[in-house]
Amino acid sequence: MVMMIVFSVMFLISLIAVASNPSPYFAALGLMIGAGVGCGMLTQFGMTFLSMILFLIYLGGMLVVFAYSAALAAEPYPSAWGSLEVFSYVVGYLMLVVVMWMLLVNDFGAFDEIEGCVMSVRRYVGVSEMYNAGGYMLLVAGWVLLVALLVVLELTRGFGRGCLRAV
Amino acid sequence: MTHILFTISTAFMLGLTGLTFHRTHLLSALLCLEGMMLSLFIALAMWSTQNDMMIFSSSPLLLLALSACEAGLGLSLLVATSRTHGSDHLQNLNLLQC
Repeated sequence: MVMMIVFSVMFLISLIAVASNPSPYFAALGLMIGAGVGCGMLTQFGMTFLSMILFLIYLGGMLVVFAYSAALAAEPYPSAWGSLEVFSYVVGYLMLVVVMWMLLVNDFGAFDEIEGCVMSVRRYVGVSEMYNAGGYMLLVAGWVLLVALLVVLELTRGFGRGCLRAV
Repeated sequence: MTHILFTISTAFMLGLTGLTFHRTHLLSALLCLEGMMLSLFIALAMWSTQNDMMIFSSSPLLLLALSACEAGLGLSLLVATSRTHGSDHLQNLNLLQC
């Protein structure tokens, strides 16, 4: 149960690091740490497959693309969490979260945590229902992905908006 | 309120305030949006575990698929902005400013 509280606190700290709007490099770093810690939270509950999915798709897919796009936001003196504007945001959010924790959290009950047995077979059945009962949602999700691909191609079409440029 | 519910809701609110009080870069606003999606993913996964209904475990997967589409669209807008306005600074997007 201690690990859950540690993971929760680290998740909140990493999202404070993202929300205080430093330079995009450091915000992506905070988001990576938050996603890693979130995977730890999911594993503590036995959702190991969803944790792997989060790691693969979120960290390995989406954040890699974000890291490549951060090259467009390159600036000579990126403002990390030590600069004055960002640090004031960090302190403000930290005080807000601490005060809200003191006021609101009154139950540290551990519900349905699996201790000692991480691999649990019955957790896998739920995700595979996407192919059985959720077949139509699978079709919709695939269609949305195809349409998103075409929309991205259309948004960056043309000589003035494409991503290939003569440097 | 349990500490897990507090964590998930506060994480969502933090991402939302980071998106609202954006500073210079469009990309940091998109990263706050991704933080909100991350908190929603964890919330959906824990909700299906807590209610012991394993059928709902597919909903975080579908949320992640749609969130990936949204991130791709946001990044293509960022690229288009960087081509037309020179950078992704939000103060340059003042076409509607009188």
